[in-house]
Amino acid sequence: MTVSYRYYDIRRVIGEVTQIDVDNGRVEQAGSSLYDKTVIRVLGDCGWGVLSVSGEEIDMDNPPCHLIDEAAEASQVTNVSIDISVSPTGMHAVPQVHENPADVSLEEKVSLLLDLDKSAQGRDIVSRRINYIEKDEQVLFSDSSGSRYSYNLCRCGFSVMAVASRGGMVQMGYERDHTISGLNIRHRQDLASQAAGRACQLLDASPAKGGTMKAVLDPELAGVFAHEAVGHASEGDLVKEGCSVLKGRMHSLIGSQFLTIADDPSLPEFGFCPVDDEGSATKRTEIIKNGILHAYLHSKETMHSVGDGDTGHCRGMPGVDPIVRMSNTFVENGDATYDEIISECRNGILLKGSRGGQVDPGRGMFQFNAEYGYLIEDGELSTMVRDVSLSGEILQTLHTITLIGNDLALHPGYCGKGGQAVPVTDGSPHLLLDKAVVGGSDID
Amino acid sequence: MIEDIFRAARSVCDDAEVLLVKSESISADLKQDKIAIGSRSQGSGLIIRVIKDGRIGVSCTDNPVTWERCLSAAVASTIFADPIDWKGLPSPASLDQKPLACDDRVHPGPGLVRDLVERMKAGSETYPAEITSGSASVAVSESILANSRGIRYESKESQVHVSLEMIAGQSTGYESDTSWNLDRINPEKTGEMASFFASKGQKGEEIRTGTYDVILSPVAFSQLLDAAVVPALSGRNVHTGRSFFADKIGSSVAGAKISLVDDPFDPRGLANCAWDGEGLPVRRIPYISGGVLRSFAYDLRTAYRYHETPTASAVRTGQSGAPAIGNHNLVLEGPEMEVFKEKGLYVHDLIGAHTANPLSGDFSVELSSPFFVGDGDFQSPVRTGMISANIFDILHRIDGCSAETRTLGCMILPSVRLSGLSVIGRG
Repeated sequence: MTVSYRYYDIRRVIGEVTQIDVDNGRVEQAGSSLYDKTVIRVLGDCGWGVLSVSGEEIDMDNPPCHLIDEAAEASQVTNVSIDISVSPTGMHAVPQVHENPADVSLEEKVSLLLDLDKSAQGRDIVSRRINYIEKDEQVLFSDSSGSRYSYNLCRCGFSVMAVASRGGMVQMGYERDHTISGLNIRHRQDLASQAAGRACQLLDASPAKGGTMKAVLDPELAGVFAHEAVGHASEGDLVKEGCSVLKGRMHSLIGSQFLTIADDPSLPEFGFCPVDDEGSATKRTEIIKNGILHAYLHSKETMHSVGDGDTGHCRGMPGVDPIVRMSNTFVENGDATYDEIISECRNGILLKGSRGGQVDPGRGMFQFNAEYGYLIEDGELSTMVRDVSLSGEILQTLHTITLIGNDLALHPGYCGKGGQAVPVTDGSPHLLLDKAVVGGSDID
Repeated sequence: MIEDIFRAARSVCDDAEVLLVKSESISADLKQDKIAIGSRSQGSGLIIRVIKDGRIGVSCTDNPVTWERCLSAAVASTIFADPIDWKGLPSPASLDQKPLACDDRVHPGPGLVRDLVERMKAGSETYPAEITSGSASVAVSESILANSRGIRYESKESQVHVSLEMIAGQSTGYESDTSWNLDRINPEKTGEMASFFASKGQKGEEIRTGTYDVILSPVAFSQLLDAAVVPALSGRNVHTGRSFFADKIGSSVAGAKISLVDDPFDPRGLANCAWDGEGLPVRRIPYISGGVLRSFAYDLRTAYRYHETPTASAVRTGQSGAPAIGNHNLVLEGPEMEVFKEKGLYVHDLIGAHTANPLSGDFSVELSSPFFVGDGDFQSPVRTGMISANIFDILHRIDGCSAETRTLGCMILPSVRLSGLSVIGRG
């Protein structure tokens, strides 16, 4: 070695991605591609040096010195001393799959997706699109302290989009499911039909009226709320940089005393991490416990500089240096039934499904969009509404949660922090918010 | 190697195309006001596309040495593809292959990124605020696009990028700048504006729910165009029932003085090139002229499938690197005006623009760095607010455009002043 270093780790991901695109019953794409990406991180005299290479055969037992040297050289541009914690090690077993996608032929997968396409047809449906993606990856890791691990994990999933049109109005229904449990496209016609049905229903839905009101979030949207509003603000890198409203609030009451939010990368859901991407063991971290800020999510670096939390939350895309990320983030069950929540809301709005969201954790503002909703009048669902969103301030909104349901459900998706898309799961039971700021095209 | 691929492909398919890319980059990441991460990246990519009996197959690998496996995967993927009336890959055209977006002074070395960081930090001292994160990066790439009809186009590109995020109290400011040309990157301005929005955004007052004239910055406007207008211009979406514009050729879709064109040779572009992602010579595409919808974008596949004329709109993005419909430099032009002269609500950025309804164009998103403006300048910050409107309706509400434009990815946009938008406040 010609450049000194204090630590290094190497993560190599060898993968094959299979993608199928069925557009209005036509197969536009059905094939696979290959990748082999390695990222080498070196902690030099000051900060991190990172080297990303692709298509190189890296021997993890005898990592090439010249690549470690190159990463160490890259660290010479840094001018701040970084230290890291020693973290617990260990790896969870990757769960058995019920049907390995690799054992199913491309022909059969295409046939199954064409069946889904048929189920997405219907009156007023003018467009259907079915996408399937399967990523089969072998992950290899080693570091300078002697840790080694390797595992194989296959993630697969599909989405169905149906577009309905009538009288100049165009609306969309969208359903998706992604998993680590094996092939998930058999017998899923119900999901395709739901997408088509929703698109047609939305043609008759009213535009939502914006304003401040009581709002019920369904488990999918409430899960996005947990992810966007709380999860990101609890990430140790943002806390360290001073870019989180949760900085300096450890052990203080920041929300409803019934509220517990956890991130658990060890849970065998879509965001599952057998071990994180810097070799730390993964386990459940309770971010908020009974309304009190309990822990931040950490990498080895942020654990050392910030404290108050757990390592095991550092993730990166293949070939990219890992950063602090969520995995499976959810609101724990409360004790209210769905009927009690709707009844207690009395007059307000039920927001269902998610078109995604975004947060400015430094400012403490979040926004997310429901796929649709229903007005709640006199404790009962009434008119269906479309294009409805929710935005607010994190700290204020957490105190406005007045009821937590007992029907926790998890939904898979992707998170795009730092330009890196990683698989995650969000979840929650139904939540009742008092004084939510709802966005819609009509205003009083 | 490319000739080897074509030799092997000749016996198994009718047409073949190879894109070989090599790239190198270096970056420095700021954590607070110090450089905490230095990164280098070296990569290559090989994308092979083959056509057999009108069926298109594609595969890619980041290890070109394994091209035989990649070719096999591309050929295998033709089997299930729906056939089209394939009229062939383009033949060589007489075009100037001189790189249009390459600055030979750009080398991915530590000195350059360090200098960019220091210049950005110097600018950030203009207004009192703290740096939370930022980065400077420099990249160069070389590519060869070749096909079995004889095309061999070689290109070089450079790219310089800076970004900075700052905070003052609970007010955040984010800015970035990208260029292929070292003379056109302005890290000092990036630092200054990030500090401006963070510092001056403090102590904002809540806005009252109501109807306002709104000035969207190029950043905010680009996010909305990207969410719904750009997809609606794609020929594929037009022919598959997913475009708001599908039946509107010849109709008024914007204000009478608004034009929206894809101008591949606009000198403000970030990655200009004389050919598109499939080797067709690029040309100006007038999507909207005088407010009237004139044309859509087509790549070869979509044009052949639906019997349209290709518009050289193929770009290379996404995981597979396969050609897909995109834009080169989407330029919006309209009547110039001083957009800050009259009182209005300026919106620098949006939180959640990607959650807009891509088909109908309806959206309601949270404002980021909003200010009241008037008399030609920023007046006072606004604390929070939500804007609800329809992206396609906005095209009819553009009263005027700033003379100054920004290049953001493949868009070149002014700030636009819009009349009568719904804003939901918390006051």
